[in-house]
Amino acid sequence: MRTLNQRQRLGTTPRNTVFARLQSGCLRAVLFALMWWILTDGAMDSWLIGAPVVLLATSISVALLPPFSWSLPGVVRFVPFFLWRSLSGGVDVAWRALHPRLPISPGLFCYPWRLPPGLPRVFMANIVSLLPGTLSTELGTDCLQVHVLDERKDFLSELETVEQRVAAMFGISLLPPESVDSGSIQRRRMK
Amino acid sequence: MMPADYLSVVLLIAGGIFFLAGTLGLLRFPDVYTRLHALTKADNVGLGLIVAGLALHAESWTVVGKLLLIWLLVLLAGASVAHLVAAAARQRGIKAWKR
Repeated sequence: MRTLNQRQRLGTTPRNTVFARLQSGCLRAVLFALMWWILTDGAMDSWLIGAPVVLLATSISVALLPPFSWSLPGVVRFVPFFLWRSLSGGVDVAWRALHPRLPISPGLFCYPWRLPPGLPRVFMANIVSLLPGTLSTELGTDCLQVHVLDERKDFLSELETVEQRVAAMFGISLLPPESVDSGSIQRRRMK
Repeated sequence: MMPADYLSVVLLIAGGIFFLAGTLGLLRFPDVYTRLHALTKADNVGLGLIVAGLALHAESWTVVGKLLLIWLLVLLAGASVAHLVAAAARQRGIKAWKR
């Protein structure tokens, strides 16, 4: 999500933003129409109500969530990655819950953000909770607090992969690691 | 039975096992954070498998779409609510269980 300030900084002209609004409005209208079609089982006479509803939903959506950048190849590559990782997340936690000795060793960690604020961070926080062994507990201003089910596992490389995939999905680049205070903040352990 | 029926039976039973494991985790895990792990992840996979099993028997594409929509909305709700519960627990100062 770009704020007005960021847009000005990026030097986008108002003409471009109107175009972007139209473009994303059209795309969202298609998605809402698809949803209406699914919900009404494709009944033709339902479009009398459906068409105004789709238009209303689209205008509310564009007003509440202005257009943001995203990349189709990033999204296409994200889907199988997410399905596979969330399946193994489920298998992992089910195995631990069924194991007689309950093999868990939880811990809280602070993972410094390299994604820009807004939608990408919220998206990553949600995804992290569905992947193996990690649960986002707080969206901090400079780091994502993560509860880890088993700290002996390599959850860091998992988080790094997710971060890269999310960035690719939104068509953005991550902040360079040097800009993050690597020594003190990085992978800081919480009490 | 058709091969698709066998596949759908396998998927539905597997989905049920994941729900069972998630519930067992809810009962056996020691604190709110670890229990959230069990609920979000195991139930997400369990519902995904059940949706896949039912989609094989759907009579039309709109039903497949509806099932997928249900799964996506539960995914979104599950992940967001897990985060909110965990954040609320942190704010109240509930300590994470340590081995």
